[in-house]
Amino acid sequence: MAAVEGDQVTAAVATLVIGVVLGYLGQRSRMCFIGGIRDFILVRDTYLLKGLIAFGLAAWLAFPVIGFVAGGRPGAVGASDALTVALTVAGGLGVGFFSTLANGCPFRQHVLAAQGVRSSMAYVAGFLAGAAIFHAWTAPLLARMLP
Amino acid sequence: MIARAVRISAIQMGFVAGLLAVVAGALFEVRPPDAYGLCMACHGRDLVNWTLNHLAGTHLTVAPASLVFPVLTTIGVSFGALLGASSSGEFHWSTPESSWRTFAYGALVMNFALLAGGCAIRLLLRTSAGERLGMFGFAGLVAGVTAGTLWLRWRATR
Repeated sequence: MAAVEGDQVTAAVATLVIGVVLGYLGQRSRMCFIGGIRDFILVRDTYLLKGLIAFGLAAWLAFPVIGFVAGGRPGAVGASDALTVALTVAGGLGVGFFSTLANGCPFRQHVLAAQGVRSSMAYVAGFLAGAAIFHAWTAPLLARMLP
Repeated sequence: MIARAVRISAIQMGFVAGLLAVVAGALFEVRPPDAYGLCMACHGRDLVNWTLNHLAGTHLTVAPASLVFPVLTTIGVSFGALLGASSSGEFHWSTPESSWRTFAYGALVMNFALLAGGCAIRLLLRTSAGERLGMFGFAGLVAGVTAGTLWLRWRATR
């Protein structure tokens, strides 16, 4: 138990530090993980899209390298049933559609909120309230409705 | 007098973020689940639900990585962005949109993200990790952004 607690304090501190670094970089670069696709479709602008691709490439390269260094621990690649796939796709669709209407991904909204944009602060408040709403109502409702 | 603002490109930011997301999961115990190093939705959920569970005695879901102590990505990002905005003179109070509407968007995006198992960032991270379900989610995300963009354009030109 003590080891688990130590690990979790490590995780908390690490995410706080990494969060500060990425929040700073995100503010300076206006990075948005939704805006890249939107800008490309609308005006063929690739500034943000390149950031999205850079993220994907960096992670894709880093996973095997760090897995090798830290003693590889391959993730579970189990088969998923059709319902899980359908729900995941539906979730992705919803995230993409409403993030586009909201004018930015959750990361960008956090950055804008910290820049003094009141409507993004309201977004973040709704975002956090949404977490409790999901586990208190949405998930039980889905569990009752779906087979 | 504000010092000359630091300029960072989206590519630089994306590269560092992708790297740190993997490092957080592999070296700093931000797991399980896999590919959990960076996510605005799941990490925000962990923070909210962990706090509610401890204050109000509820039993809302928290990822195993946040059982004893929650991950603090969302707080870090907010602080970092505040630092970036104030150091470059880009902090301005403004209300460009209806706050009620953006509140609803926030709640909707969080609900769909938890259904998919990640926000835009984590869906891409799972895709990079080679997780097939994450790829399905990311494909859905791209389709959703495309639909949203076309909808906005259609509404603007109507």
